[in-house]
Amino acid sequence: MALHQVLLKIQSLFRRRSMASEINEELEFHQALLRDRLSRQGVPPAELDMATRRTFGNALRWRERLTELWQFGTLENLLRDLTFSARLLRKSPGFTAVALLTLTLGVGANTAVFSLINGLLLRPLPVPDAEQLAVLRMEEGGPQPNYSFCTPFFRSLERNHDVFADVFAYNPDILQVQGRSANENIPGMLVSGQFFRALQTAPLMGRYLTPEDDRPGGSPEGLAVVITEQFWETWFDRAPDVVGRKLIIANVPFTVVGVMPKQFIGADPTRKPQIFAPLSTDPIIDAPRNHIDDGIHAWWLTVGARLQPGVTLAQANASLATVSRPILHAASDDAEFIGEEEKGHFHFVAEPGSRGFAYARLLFRRPLLAMFSMCGGILLLACLNLAGLLMARGAARERELATRLAIGATRQRLIQQMLVESLLIAILGTAAGLAVAPLVSRSLAALLLSGDSGGLLDTSLDVRVLCFAACVAVISAVLIGLVPALEATAGNVNDHIKDGQHARQPRERRRILPRVLLASEVALALLLVVGAGLLATSLVRLFKSGLGFDPKGLVNIAFRMDKQQLEGDALMRQYQQLGEGLSRQPGVKNVSFEFIVPLSHRGWNGRYGAPGAQPQLMYMNSVGPDYFATMRIPLDQGREFTWADSKASGLKITLNRSAANLLFPGKEALGQQVIEERSHSTYQVVAVVGDTKYRDMREPAPPSGYIPIMQDEQKKPSLTAVVRSDGPQVALASAARSLAARLTPTIPAPTLSTMNEVLNDAMNTERMMALLSVFFAGCALLVTGIGLYGTLAYATARRTNEIGIRMALGARRVGVMVLVFRENALVAGIGSVAGLTIALLVSRALGSFLYGTSPRDPWVLLGSVAALTLIASVASLLPALRAARIEPMAAIRCE
Amino acid sequence: MVREESGELIQGTLEMLVLKALARGPLHGYAVAEWIEQTSQQVLKVEEGALYPALHRLQLRGLLNAQWGASENNRRAKFYQLTADGRKRLNAESHRWARLSAAVAFVMQAS
Repeated sequence: MALHQVLLKIQSLFRRRSMASEINEELEFHQALLRDRLSRQGVPPAELDMATRRTFGNALRWRERLTELWQFGTLENLLRDLTFSARLLRKSPGFTAVALLTLTLGVGANTAVFSLINGLLLRPLPVPDAEQLAVLRMEEGGPQPNYSFCTPFFRSLERNHDVFADVFAYNPDILQVQGRSANENIPGMLVSGQFFRALQTAPLMGRYLTPEDDRPGGSPEGLAVVITEQFWETWFDRAPDVVGRKLIIANVPFTVVGVMPKQFIGADPTRKPQIFAPLSTDPIIDAPRNHIDDGIHAWWLTVGARLQPGVTLAQANASLATVSRPILHAASDDAEFIGEEEKGHFHFVAEPGSRGFAYARLLFRRPLLAMFSMCGGILLLACLNLAGLLMARGAARERELATRLAIGATRQRLIQQMLVESLLIAILGTAAGLAVAPLVSRSLAALLLSGDSGGLLDTSLDVRVLCFAACVAVISAVLIGLVPALEATAGNVNDHIKDGQHARQPRERRRILPRVLLASEVALALLLVVGAGLLATSLVRLFKSGLGFDPKGLVNIAFRMDKQQLEGDALMRQYQQLGEGLSRQPGVKNVSFEFIVPLSHRGWNGRYGAPGAQPQLMYMNSVGPDYFATMRIPLDQGREFTWADSKASGLKITLNRSAANLLFPGKEALGQQVIEERSHSTYQVVAVVGDTKYRDMREPAPPSGYIPIMQDEQKKPSLTAVVRSDGPQVALASAARSLAARLTPTIPAPTLSTMNEVLNDAMNTERMMALLSVFFAGCALLVTGIGLYGTLAYATARRTNEIGIRMALGARRVGVMVLVFRENALVAGIGSVAGLTIALLVSRALGSFLYGTSPRDPWVLLGSVAALTLIASVASLLPALRAARIEPMAAIRCE
Repeated sequence: MVREESGELIQGTLEMLVLKALARGPLHGYAVAEWIEQTSQQVLKVEEGALYPALHRLQLRGLLNAQWGASENNRRAKFYQLTADGRKRLNAESHRWARLSAAVAFVMQAS
């Protein structure tokens, strides 16, 4: 288009109305002169109009053509289509509401899960040149690679690297920072010397930690920490002189040397540490534990690296392969350990690390992708449903479309209008979906990471999510609009005008396509319902699988005692007082203590054996007096521990049934001796109790043993009080806090969680997937019901005449009902068969998420088909009833 | 849309005829139609409305200028006038047409 033309068109854009009247005037002037001439030539006045029209042509059409000439065709048509579509949508609020709701649901769910996937799996770390980062792992011949390093491995890698510019390690931790009255738990991270250099983010103030800080005792200026902007705000109220101030962490003074900007999150996208401390301070911060001295027995570090410029990952891996063996040999003198590792062809591997490392990624990759496909299914369903409804409505709009075709609109133009309509629906639906998505994804992320204290996932919308939503909008618009548009505008103009909405010869293609759409909708819905049924059944079975203890009314109160003064028997007396204080609270029935909360994913194991027999692997816990009564674990034989079971009174152990059978097959275990392999300590069995699940709900109860807390090897064990109570939880929490403040003022406020919460966390993935899939299945049923109902209602309305005639000719009302009902019954039947077939083929993909449930569980399949049949019947019965109420005379008179 | 196709066929020719009609001075649309019909001795009869898309297209391309003025019977009418570009185009088209029609005549007269 030449410049001149564009300018003229732009001019005309601003004088649209006068343009139109000018065009009118010009054409009318011509027609007036023409009439004069024709009448001079002797055309009789009655025929003047016809003659003018014959000579001049269709004035309306010319006007249309001229107007088009002066417009930016596509754009202005688009605007006109938009207003027209908006009017159409306003005119049928029911349809619009259904369309928007289903799309909002589909898009919202998809975007929410995609933001989760984006946050966890796709988004690169917010650091410069993130693509140069690598994550290191170890291959040891096991089924899964190992991402947790021990200190000797990491320090060797850190010392001699040529392919990497920097090698760093970190460990997320909870730091006890001294506040005004007591210590507070602050999420933090221990980082090695090259951590900040590798991540290349400049501090907001001061400096970041360097290799000098990562030495035992810190740099010459003392122990240093770097804090985040957020912590600077909440703790120091953005004091400008924060650099150089002291923080008391684990009762030791540290100096704040720098503040990191908000966008810096370290190398794990699921963590939000507030304080970064040098790795070498672990003996202070984690005291009395010492991961560094534990050497090859503490696998606690995540290791990453930044590649040298120009070095590829393949080169890095080649270099790592050559250093693996020497590093392994330098790490330990333990020949057994080295031999074991060499048997597994131990070597280090570097993998792309631009997205950092998150343990949650390994756990949730597959569940997330499964959820994503579920969401895709519901979106597809929404689109199919809308396409079906639009097609039914397109059929009702036949006469309008035919008229527009007749007065000169091209088919392309009509299709464009209908696509604009579906695009409008899609954009509105997407916008609404985008509005709810952050809310949904935030709660999903919270649900997903709930078992992981301090875990956090940024699921905010970014460019990637918005692009995704835009793609979804466009694709769904085309899915929704194209087929109905092609369908409605096909065929002969005259047929449409003549026939309009009257009964006419069935045109096969027209009748088949909507049915195919509906049948696929039914099939898809069935698929989603089957999936949901399987996941929900599995969850229920998991719930009912039996824990070995009674979680109802059980509350855990965790005390952190590792940084206070008391130890040994004095600390035990402290616990005893805490227990007595708690048992005086209203509603409290029993109180006891335990070291490991069952099913909290923490664990402790050791090898124990009968004298002279092979030691066996057992899971251990140390528990307080009255523990088994509190937990309602059946005490088969023997007695509970008492406060008198101190170190001086001889070591005691209680075995569960499996352990008793394992260690003393066919014999009475009570009163026997058990020997621990490493320390050679001898324990006396004082009781045999029922089996309980230990770490993982999906696994059967392992052989396990209990020792009294009073005989625990740890000097300052941090125990959890287990309270069985039917009183109010809030009161218990505040009572625990005030008790702790009175008895042990320096410890952080005790944290309270109910056993049900722990269980929910333990079944987190299952619970979330079951919850979501049931929700989606419900929506799928609803959407399908609406689709079946809407399409049939439209179709029946169009057959009013036919039905009227049938009834006038003697058809009975029941016959009419059957006639209408049959339409959907056929579609639903075919859809169900197809859906069931596909479900049988693909449900195996769900197998790994199921507990004690076959992916082809016949009851679930049967139940799903029944649910769908019910919905389809209800949806089809309403139009059928309405058809049966048609008054034949009124229907025919409408003609 | 058969009508549309024949319209396409004569579009180029119609535009040339319009330019020619305006060569002797500004005219309104009706006068252009009248001139073409009379000058061609009633042989070239277009659907008169078809003239206007051609006129407006030429105006948009900058070959014509348009101005509102009074007609012979004192009604407001839109008068079209050749621009310099329009005159150049008319020359080019006339040459092309002369060569083309001569060639066609030559072919048709061959025995």
